[in-house]
Amino acid sequence: MAGAVPPGAEVRVIGPPQELERVPLVANQRSLAWVSDRVAGIVEGRAPLWWWVAFVPSVVALLLLGAMLVYQISTGVGVWGNNHPVMWGWDIINFVWWIGIGHAGTLISAILFLLRQRWRTAVNRAAEAMTIFAVMCAGIYPALHVGRIWFDWWLFPVHNSQSLWPQFRSPLMWDVFAVSTYFTVSVLFWYMGLIPDLAVFRDRAKTKLRKFFYGLFALGWTGSNRHWSNYEKAYLILAGLSTPLVLSVHSIVSLDFAVSQLPGWHTTIFPPYFVAGAIFSGFGMVLTLLIPLRKWCHLEDIITQRHIDVMCKVTLATGSIVGYAYGMEFFIAWYSGSPYERFAFINRAMGPYAWGYWTMIFCNVVAPQLFWSRRIRSNLLVVWILSIVVNVGMWFERFVIIVISLHRDFLAANWGHYLPTWVDVCTYLGTFGLFFTCFLLFMRFLPMIAIAEVKGVTPQADPHHPLGGAKSGGHPA
Amino acid sequence: MSSSPHIPNAPPLDLSRWRQVPNWLIVGGAAGALLGLVLSPRQFGYSWLLAFMFFLSLALGGLFLVLVHHLFDAGWSVPIRRFCEHLACLLAPWLAVLFLPIAVLAPTLYGWMSVADPHADHALHAKWPLFTKPAWYAVTALCFGVWWWLSSRLRYWSLRQDQTGAPECTYKMRRYAGGGIFLFALTLTLAAILWMKGLMYHWFSTMYGVYYFAASVWLTVATVYIITMVLKRTRTLEAVLHEHQFYFLGSLLFAFTVFYAYIHFSQYFIIWNANVPEETFWYVIREQGTWFYVGLVIIFGHFFVPFLALLRIDLKLTFGWMLPVCLWAWAMHYLDLAFNILPVAHPDGYPWQWAWLDLACTALIGGLLAKAWLKSLHRHPPYPLRDPRLAEAMGHVHPVASPISGGEMDETDELADAGADGRRGAS
Repeated sequence: MAGAVPPGAEVRVIGPPQELERVPLVANQRSLAWVSDRVAGIVEGRAPLWWWVAFVPSVVALLLLGAMLVYQISTGVGVWGNNHPVMWGWDIINFVWWIGIGHAGTLISAILFLLRQRWRTAVNRAAEAMTIFAVMCAGIYPALHVGRIWFDWWLFPVHNSQSLWPQFRSPLMWDVFAVSTYFTVSVLFWYMGLIPDLAVFRDRAKTKLRKFFYGLFALGWTGSNRHWSNYEKAYLILAGLSTPLVLSVHSIVSLDFAVSQLPGWHTTIFPPYFVAGAIFSGFGMVLTLLIPLRKWCHLEDIITQRHIDVMCKVTLATGSIVGYAYGMEFFIAWYSGSPYERFAFINRAMGPYAWGYWTMIFCNVVAPQLFWSRRIRSNLLVVWILSIVVNVGMWFERFVIIVISLHRDFLAANWGHYLPTWVDVCTYLGTFGLFFTCFLLFMRFLPMIAIAEVKGVTPQADPHHPLGGAKSGGHPA
Repeated sequence: MSSSPHIPNAPPLDLSRWRQVPNWLIVGGAAGALLGLVLSPRQFGYSWLLAFMFFLSLALGGLFLVLVHHLFDAGWSVPIRRFCEHLACLLAPWLAVLFLPIAVLAPTLYGWMSVADPHADHALHAKWPLFTKPAWYAVTALCFGVWWWLSSRLRYWSLRQDQTGAPECTYKMRRYAGGGIFLFALTLTLAAILWMKGLMYHWFSTMYGVYYFAASVWLTVATVYIITMVLKRTRTLEAVLHEHQFYFLGSLLFAFTVFYAYIHFSQYFIIWNANVPEETFWYVIREQGTWFYVGLVIIFGHFFVPFLALLRIDLKLTFGWMLPVCLWAWAMHYLDLAFNILPVAHPDGYPWQWAWLDLACTALIGGLLAKAWLKSLHRHPPYPLRDPRLAEAMGHVHPVASPISGGEMDETDELADAGADGRRGAS
């Protein structure tokens, strides 16, 4: 049928040249026992100094959050900088920012699992934890911004004393259901993955207290064939359920803006653009967290340079998609001929907040292009700095969408300037306290690497490999 | 049709009696298209545009698959890459030449070209200078120029590697893919806007480029599945294919089924919810007459049917099931493009009286492109003979010192353990 090679001809198969060999997912031929020892060692040993250096300020910031919440609830939302014409300010910016960060974990766990991306095993557990804590931080803002927090229960469809029901046509209501569902399923998924590793901790525990609690949460896991079979079925089902949730949450967040008629908000590309941005910022935060942690916890052989490299590429891809969306928004604002749309975008780029717009463009579109260079991707310090640049850029994206779109309304009489108050700033700093306190506690008490899954991608787990199966007992000969 | 990708003892598929099909399509299509041109040049233009955009989807989708193959350093897609390169190379000169009737009839097809005073029409005035004839033709030339350059360079280095086996060719293709993906996004968006969205130039949507992209890749993946299946049955790719090619193609088809629905629903929902007349009119027109029912068929046929059909893993590997699903994808994409293009000329409903002309134009373009593609397939090796990832694509582990391939492949179960030298030859 086709030229040069007749049908049925023998195929000469050779491996790739050395320069194109795949780099193994676990470096230095580490044994299965080494993986368990190294991950469990983070939890079993004494807390290192760096952990305390990070933990104490985090708790202080968490206390600051508590103080700000008490002050805000007892005084009212007037303590924030929200005011006419910018009636949404840092509260929604930070809500969207944290929710975006909360996308990487479940994406890595669910979507990359379905896509058979095995590199995910080294980073999925920490990313899932990050997701849960980020969504907790995000959830604070909508709960508070209603003003009278004691009426938050009205958001749920329970028959209350006034026979009032939630307004289901409001995208804010969709947020409530999307975020709470996402949080619930993410926690379930995270816990499901933890079970085999909790059993490892249980079996290694040297105190009764540890044995009791790890045993309790390991749910009687024995590692039997039946347990693994059920586990893998459940994991696949949860991955299937989580996948649409990952995409739906930020799509629905985007609808908070897009279903309005406001120039700069009402644009059809918002759902995929928000999802791409969320993955972008989520991977930015994963890199920010894991690059120092792999060094401090001596996990370089598990979270390898290859993992960093792949995550840089995901960041580059999503950053470019976000750049496309920025371009399309601007282009269609011009194309539409709508003077309001045109003004909204020219005002973004050349108005009083132009510095915010260009910071966003630099951080989200220009800076990630450096990841095209392999040298940049292999320089961990540069990657870490760029990951922070991404986080900053994504915060500014929300600032641009919310503040710059609102501060100059259709009428010049409705123009104004927005400034956050000290309460806004301290509340935001406080959410970092919540996030890092939770994360640091997580890594001290739970396996921050999915031990069983990492073992599954080692050569020893491959029965056809020279090191695999029972040939050498899982240890290099 | 076998129910499994593994059919070691089945006789090779004999396609000799189908050899004349492209010729019949060309002859029959040309006769119908000529008759249509004589009867109604305007209707011929719309029918031709519909057929052209359909096959443009296929070629652009082929280019996209080649680009992402290199960008992701994919292993599994090596055996199917060569015929995707041929699909991409249909963009120029073939599709460029087939665009000529549209270029000639453009003033008839695109209402904005015949507006007496463009500056008196605000929507047109605002789009100056893009919506002027010189700019429209210049952008068209730019798109075909970029596509020609990208597709030809990628295939050139791919064929070069067949001879040299040099890793340098892989690096070259990656570099082209790196820059090419940006050019691809830009040109596809411009083409979708100028050639389709521009038919109703008052309307605008930031999603439109993404919409055409999603639909195009969906169609292409369905087509690639069929081609892979046929080339396996003819024994052309039998030796280098593994089950996972079919699984991944089925999964991609499923993913793009959902992605397309997500994109189209988002566009519709945001426009419906905001209810701005400058945007809603596009959908209001498409709720008139039979277009309403066409819309319903697209909702169910473009999403629900393939979604349900592709849910199960085992069905993605069942030829007898996947063949009708992929053919269904062709029908749905064609209908979707008709839903986009034809209401401009026929706002009251689908023009059944001209259906024969739509089919004739599709047959003519399809026949010509099929002949061109088959010629390329015959002229060159059917898969990249010395691609460094070929062994991986075939499901072979290739242990070097000791680590495996990095865990890319799900299944390496067809082979015995590696020899002592760590290298493995295969038949």
